[in-house]
Amino acid sequence: MKRFLRARIASWARRRQGADVLPVTMHYRRIYILPTRAGWGFAFLLFCMFVAGLNYSNSTALFLTFWLAGFVLVGLHRCHRNLLGIALQGATAVPTFAGGAGELELTLENPAPLMRLRIEADLPGVAPSVTDIAPRCAARLSLALPTTVRGRLLIDGLRLTTALPFGLFRAWTWVYLPLELIVYPRARGFFPLPTVAGVTPGAKTRGGSGGDEWLGLRAFRDGDSPHQVAWKAYARGAPLLVKEYCAAAAPERYFDFERLPNLDTERRLEQLAAWIVDAENRGERYALTLPGGKLALDRGAQHRHRCLSALALHGLAPARRAAAIAR
Amino acid sequence: MDSRLRAVPPPLHAEREPLRPMLWTIAAFVAGALLNVDRIPLWATAVLIACAAWQLSVAAHKLPALPKPAQLILTFVLVTCVVATFHTLNGLPAGTVLLVVMGSIKLLETRGRRDRYIVIGAALFLLLAACLDRQALARLPLYLGDALLCCTALLVSAYGGAGLEIRVAAKLAARSLLLALPLALVFFLFFPRLPGGFWALPANDDAITGLGESMSPGSISQLTASYDPAFRVRFAGAIPPPQERYWRGPVLHDFDGYTWRRGVVEAYRQPALRYLGEPFRYSVTLVPDANRWWFTLDTVVGSPDKHVFFSYDYDLIAREPVTQLTTYDALSYTHTESSEPLSNFARKIESALPPNRNPRTRELAARLRERAAADPDFVRAVIDFFRTGGFQYSLTPPMLDLDSVDDFLFHTREGFCGHYASAFVALMRAGGVPARVVTGYQGGEWNPIGGYFLIRQSDAHAWAEIWIEGRGWRRVDPTAIVAPERLSRGILDILPNAVSGRTRLLYTTPLLVHLLQGWDALNTAWNERIVKFDVNMQLGILERLGVRSADWTALVAALASGLIGWLAWIAWHIGRSAGPRPADRLARAYARLCRKLARAGIARDAHEGPRDYAARIVRRRPDLAPRAQPLLARYAHLRYGPVGGEVAAAATAAFERMVLRLHVARRPRSTPLRRSKSL
Repeated sequence: MKRFLRARIASWARRRQGADVLPVTMHYRRIYILPTRAGWGFAFLLFCMFVAGLNYSNSTALFLTFWLAGFVLVGLHRCHRNLLGIALQGATAVPTFAGGAGELELTLENPAPLMRLRIEADLPGVAPSVTDIAPRCAARLSLALPTTVRGRLLIDGLRLTTALPFGLFRAWTWVYLPLELIVYPRARGFFPLPTVAGVTPGAKTRGGSGGDEWLGLRAFRDGDSPHQVAWKAYARGAPLLVKEYCAAAAPERYFDFERLPNLDTERRLEQLAAWIVDAENRGERYALTLPGGKLALDRGAQHRHRCLSALALHGLAPARRAAAIAR
Repeated sequence: MDSRLRAVPPPLHAEREPLRPMLWTIAAFVAGALLNVDRIPLWATAVLIACAAWQLSVAAHKLPALPKPAQLILTFVLVTCVVATFHTLNGLPAGTVLLVVMGSIKLLETRGRRDRYIVIGAALFLLLAACLDRQALARLPLYLGDALLCCTALLVSAYGGAGLEIRVAAKLAARSLLLALPLALVFFLFFPRLPGGFWALPANDDAITGLGESMSPGSISQLTASYDPAFRVRFAGAIPPPQERYWRGPVLHDFDGYTWRRGVVEAYRQPALRYLGEPFRYSVTLVPDANRWWFTLDTVVGSPDKHVFFSYDYDLIAREPVTQLTTYDALSYTHTESSEPLSNFARKIESALPPNRNPRTRELAARLRERAAADPDFVRAVIDFFRTGGFQYSLTPPMLDLDSVDDFLFHTREGFCGHYASAFVALMRAGGVPARVVTGYQGGEWNPIGGYFLIRQSDAHAWAEIWIEGRGWRRVDPTAIVAPERLSRGILDILPNAVSGRTRLLYTTPLLVHLLQGWDALNTAWNERIVKFDVNMQLGILERLGVRSADWTALVAALASGLIGWLAWIAWHIGRSAGPRPADRLARAYARLCRKLARAGIARDAHEGPRDYAARIVRRRPDLAPRAQPLLARYAHLRYGPVGGEVAAAATAAFERMVLRLHVARRPRSTPLRRSKSL
């Protein structure tokens, strides 16, 4: 019943607020606030105190009651303010393999000169994550998302809440970002890696990893990643330069969905995922062929992600925004 | 294969009870209980301390928690103890002890936030109980401190975990309380005070004993050893001279030879009075005592309250004992006359003497009566007897035997006001003049700071009233004949040994006397203005604010406007600090500059520095450039250039002024993205 109500209210708020775009700033119109159970209890306590004060015509008791009532109202505004003005600067879903826990990383920025206490992020059915945010600082929250099957995990119902300072009210805001977590197939299978199909000679790359050879510096061009910039040289007064590496010679392998005939689709995907992980760990170059498309020879984290995502989404309809909104 | 998130079980490892919230919770509860410590039995205090200590050890992981069955048994035993002590669970004293005991047991099983909240709620209720019990000004700081403690505990408890730093938490709670203060004042002033007493109010059993309904030799001198206040009187207009400041209390009619009593109060008609001279208007604030007497100056005209009986001997007698501070207005005359004769019934009562007691007194009265032509002559003869009989005024007279008047008049000749009043009235009655003993207070200390008279228990006095045919009841104070200075000076001047050495020092050192008077005035103001605040004073405030013929609708209107005003203020006050606020003056001035330029139609982008922004303005809005570019360049110089010290402060101030002086015409926004002005 409670979950049903929460879902209904969330969808009402969704219709009211519309979809969000990063960065999401928590302004007045999107913060909701209600008393907690402790808040109702406190209200009852105040009522008893009030009746006692009236009965005894006791000025001190009445003043105390009125004062505490004012205190509660101040608490209401402070609870609301605890969320007000916070900006959600980033929300990234870190993919995982089925059965593992994906991560939703949130970056919250507090632009105001006041301490934010116990800002909590939660999703339905997920253990919440809590942080304080110092004045004019940012904080990172990370939610662990449990997964079971490969595919696309729609993340909706993201909520930022706080009950501080006095725990008598709970203020919250829903964030409607088009977030989804890619869940790779489990990486497991019995087959050894397919035989090496060729060897790529060393090629120029930027960035570079452990086994790569230093090639030299070249001028910065638009689009270069800041990770590749030679910052130390820049600090000494040189112009912006980019470090270039030469990749070591690497074996090449071709992974093909069709060449695993004796398995059902899910097993094949799992086998392919296992190979990709293996090949990437060995520093080899690999290509992936699926019934719907082909990923050319390459290596590196991005290639790995592209390949595993292709496996994860194999056979699934493209993302329907409507499905995410329906909840 | 889209999937939804599914529920996960909570983490398995049991959460260890955090120490700091527990500490604060215990502190709040113990402080609340300690406010009531003098009203709860010793065993309950012991239970409280034991439970608090145990729970502290549990929180510090030194002791295991008390098992559930033991808690249940403890609860049962302790509730039984409360019932055995008070024979009830109702009422303030029993309720307070029950709250202390149950709260202590709840402390033992406090795990987690919810339990802590319950304990803090109990602590707040204990604070309320203390307020209900005593509202003395001196206790106010304690109450304030406890309120702050409870609120801080609430905050630390809500935060949980390792807990907030004490300084941060206390500051936040104190600020919240401060912000709530205006609302509390508005509600206190304007919330219509319904007449209270939905259920029976308990008697305050620790009240001071005042004058009783009987008087034996020595009973008044016991009172005079006490320097406690009895009541305070504030005159509106004329103040009676010292020799007229007789505060009438119980009138005693019935004498058994040793003790005077009020006797059978079978009302006879009040003899009609003619009031002479000017009336005195005043208000009296009684300090609670267990008696029902409302003291008044000499002869009061009627009762100020319908629940207070105006007796045939011009006393004001309340139905219930005075258990809380009571204030009433009265009107009195110090001179009256009654021309009608005393009824036979009244004459019989006011002339009765026990037949076989005090024979020598009767003899003396008969002798004096024979020589006197009329009642006034007889009275004069008796007064002469007192004046010339070698009587001494003393606070510690010898004990008297059962024929107390005989023993006093012919043997000891040493006594206090009660002795003289008793002997004088006995002599009058024996001589056939209707007479009665009046007890009350005489004199009073003028408090120049508060502008009122403070009458203390040590001002207790007894005197006589005699009936003179054709003139009515007249006051005769035999003590004044023996010790005339008693009327104009305090007891300490006449009998320095009347009170203990410490008290004497307190009330005779000039500086201390001033301090004490100031403190008493403050207390009186607190009692009169705050503690006794009622609906009439509420309406009075409204009328002073200019509301004509204020009634409760005006009160509600004042309350509502105050509430709305406060809510608007608090929303503004709290909400404004949530937005981004530049850290220093330079940044604020820069933000102002950017706002002005944005209004002119070219807003700075989030990633743009001052130089890029200036360059864009030159490109896009050449009309603004001559004014905007120097300012932006100056900002860049002040922010990033080699400027420091006082030069920087002066330059920043100059920059602020330049920004303030900058005027740009408003233009519709040219940038496609709508920018929200504030957060």
